[in-house]
Formats: sequence, C-alpha cells, structure tokens
Amino acid sequence: MNENTQDMKEQGQQTEQPMEFEKALARLEEIVRKLEANDTPLEQSLKLFEEGVALTARCNALLEKAEQQVSMLVRGQDGTMTPAPMPK
Amino acid sequence: MNRQPGREGDVLTVSQLNAIVKALLDNEPLLSHVMVRGELSNFKYHTQSGHLYMTLKDEKSAVRAVMFASSAKKLLFRPENGMKVIVEGRVAVFERDGQYQLYLTGMQPDGLGALHLAYEQLKAKLAAEGLFAPERKKPLPKTPFHIGVVTASTGAAVRDIIHVLGRRFPAAQVLLYPVLVQGPDAPPMIVEAINWFNERHAADVLIVGRGGGSIEDLWAFNDESVARAIAASAIPVISAVGHETDFTIADFVADLRAPTPSAAAELAVPDSLTLRQRLSNVNVRMADLLLRKTSAGRARLETLSAHWALRQPEKLLDEKRLVLDGLSQRVLQAQQTRLERGRQSLSLTAGKLSALSPLGVLERGYSIVLRRDSPVRRADELAVGDELTLRFAKGEVQARVTKTKEQQ
Repeated sequence: MNENTQDMKEQGQQTEQPMEFEKALARLEEIVRKLEANDTPLEQSLKLFEEGVALTARCNALLEKAEQQVSMLVRGQDGTMTPAPMPK
Repeated sequence: MNRQPGREGDVLTVSQLNAIVKALLDNEPLLSHVMVRGELSNFKYHTQSGHLYMTLKDEKSAVRAVMFASSAKKLLFRPENGMKVIVEGRVAVFERDGQYQLYLTGMQPDGLGALHLAYEQLKAKLAAEGLFAPERKKPLPKTPFHIGVVTASTGAAVRDIIHVLGRRFPAAQVLLYPVLVQGPDAPPMIVEAINWFNERHAADVLIVGRGGGSIEDLWAFNDESVARAIAASAIPVISAVGHETDFTIADFVADLRAPTPSAAAELAVPDSLTLRQRLSNVNVRMADLLLRKTSAGRARLETLSAHWALRQPEKLLDEKRLVLDGLSQRVLQAQQTRLERGRQSLSLTAGKLSALSPLGVLERGYSIVLRRDSPVRRADELAVGDELTLRFAKGEVQARVTKTKEQQ
C-alpha cells in the first residue's frame, strides 16, 4: 500500500490528500454546527469534540511540511516524461 | 522554336500564344514579386487540397488569385469575402485557360493587423461555441496539494510561481512540465503538457502561462489548439499570461484568469497560516461550545436540585399521601352512599312485601277464620255447631259456632 502510494507520487499521480483535507474541513464545520445545536446531548457532544480535535490535528499534520517539493518533468529517450528534482 | 513571335505572316497555336505570354510575364521582374491591395470576392476554400481560390477586386477591375495549401496553412486569420487585404505573390499565366492570375504567398488584412484579426476571429468563433461561458468554469480546489505548472523551465514566470507557492502553501507538491512558450512549436507542446496532466490526474490544479511580452510573443496563448486543450481539461486551469491589460484566448477559456504568473500562484493555493489559524479557531470554538454545553447541563442540574421536591422529598410524599387520603376517602364515601341507598331500597321493598302479605294483616290485629282449612268470607256460610279454626298472627285456636244472626 505504502509502496503503491509512493509509486503513484513518482508518476505524478494525484493522491487523496486534498479530498481528505477538504472532507476533514467539511466535517469540522458539521461538528461545530452540531455542537451549536441545543438538542445535541452532552454525551454526543463529547464524542463530537473528540472527533473534531483529532481532525484538526490531522489537518495540521497535512499542512506540516518542512520544505516545498518541486519537481520538473524530464523527457526520456523514449519520449516519456519522468519527474526529477527541480534544478535550483 | 523556329518561328520568331510577332513576325508578320506567322500563325500561332493557342498553346504557343499562351506559352509566349507566360514567358513574357515570367521574365518581367516587376511581376515576380508584387504586393496588391484589394477586396476579396468569390473566395473559395478547397477542402481536399487546402488551396484557396479568390478574386481580388477594386472599384474598376478584378484579377484572379490562388494561394496553395503550403502558404494557406501559415495564414493567421480566415479570409472572407468583402475583406480588404494586401496580398503578396507573383503574376503568372494559367496556360490552360489563357488567364493570368496572382499566385499568392501571403495575405494581410488591410488596416487591422493580421494577428489582431486572427485573435478577433478565433475569439468570436470560440465564444459562439460557448467555450467562454461562465457555467463551463470549474471551481478551483480549495486546498490543492498537487499543482501542475505548464510554462518555460527558465525565466521569471516559473521562479515567481514556485516562490509564491512555497511561501503560501509549502505543503503542495509542484510539478513543472517545461514547454516552449513562443514560436510555432509552443502550441503543440502546451497542448501536450495539459493533456499529460489530465491523462494521469497528476494535479489538482494547473497553472498555464508565461511572462509578459509583445502580442507576437504571447501568440501561443491565442492559439486555437491551446484554447481547446484548456477548455477540455478536466483539471481546473488558471491562465497566467503576464500581460495585465489584454486578455489572451487562453484567458477566456481558463477556469480562472490571473494577470501574472505570481498572481496565478496566489490564486491557486490558500495561505497556510490562515488555514492553520482557521483550524485553531475551530478548536477553540469547539472547546467553547462544549464548555457552554457542560455548564448549561450543570446549571440545569442545579436548578433541578434546588427544587423543593428534591430538597425535601418527604414533602413530596406528604403531598402524595394527601392525595391518596383524599382519594380513599372518596372511595369509602362512595361505597357508604351506595350501601345506604341499597339499604333504603331494600326496606322499601320489604315494606311493600309485608303490606301484601296476609301475615302483615294479621299483624295489625286481624285474624282468619278457617273451616276445614278454607277461609270463611261470609257469616251465612256457617251453621250452629260448625267446627272453626281461628288463625292469629301468632298461633291459632279451635272454636265452635254457638249462635247465628240473620243478615240484614
């Protein structure tokens, strides 16, 4: 699974990150709405809160990147394009 | 050729005549390269060969003209009837018809520049196809983690894009597809790059562009194939042609038009800091809401426990007992009443019964006279010496008739 993901990235394949991030944001909005609702029982509110904290942590982790990754596609002998690190 | 042309008495064939005229014209340096101004009419595009046939005219006269496919391909605009043009070419004779005509190598719109005209024509054509329609525009992803860049690998444009993306949203991976951005090879490369990203879903958003330049420099972004590739892209495209005032055709078809490459990068990604701030705000808000919820719960609990029923539960019991007492009282009462009523109706019935009973009559002091166990109702039924039984309310006696009286 991990190797696959790595392969996909190397071929320039899109991963699930933006979906995951935007889904997380949407879910967070939903959680806040539910917490705002008066009829959400305390027990459920606690669970929503825990889920929300985990989601924000996950989103922060996705944003966490020490250095920007820039690749440039290079045309090979057979004409296929392969990503290589961008020359500075 | 034995016969010298023009000599008196010679008779020429038609072919000979045409050949002579052709040779004359071909040898005239003035006609080997001419530029002519005129209006197009009878314009015909031969679809199979790609050659263009037309008549060039002014107020007084007309001349036929042809442009072969090799030259026609290079035209930036579509010639149309009525269009004022300046053509370039040579004059020669079409021997078969004995007609001289213009063999064109170039054509310019008269007045407007060719590029400008081509631009207007393509714009009108694509607009008519609906390629610029707002409803066609795809929404940009809010948080693209993969950004495809289609531009030259060197120069300010790519540097600016990478710089801005790195500053705003370093979490995003940038993938550059290097292309030529001017010259005749630029459009096919740009098209290939856009298609490459789409075939592999290799980006969440594409930035396609170049730095500023003259209208000729930017020409690749007014190319029809580039415009169509952008329109067909499933991945949202931000156009980034560094020419703030004028729009290229690419700008019209793109999902979002940025005035410069750096502006495109700004528009492509959210600001990480803002995003983090938002996440932290969400955390604070959630904690706040939860706190409010628990304190609301606590307040309700306090209100409830402050209620007298909970503080003095025996009072609640007393209350209930009172109600219970009241209820049982009423039940008893009801039973009593019913009993009383029953008793009354019973004695009433019993009274009626005793009034009818012979025993009741006897009770009131009467007695029954029986003779041989039959009641005696008349005195004249009896005779002296008859044995009688007298029954009283209590007990009976035997008696004998001693004397009778005559009834009146």
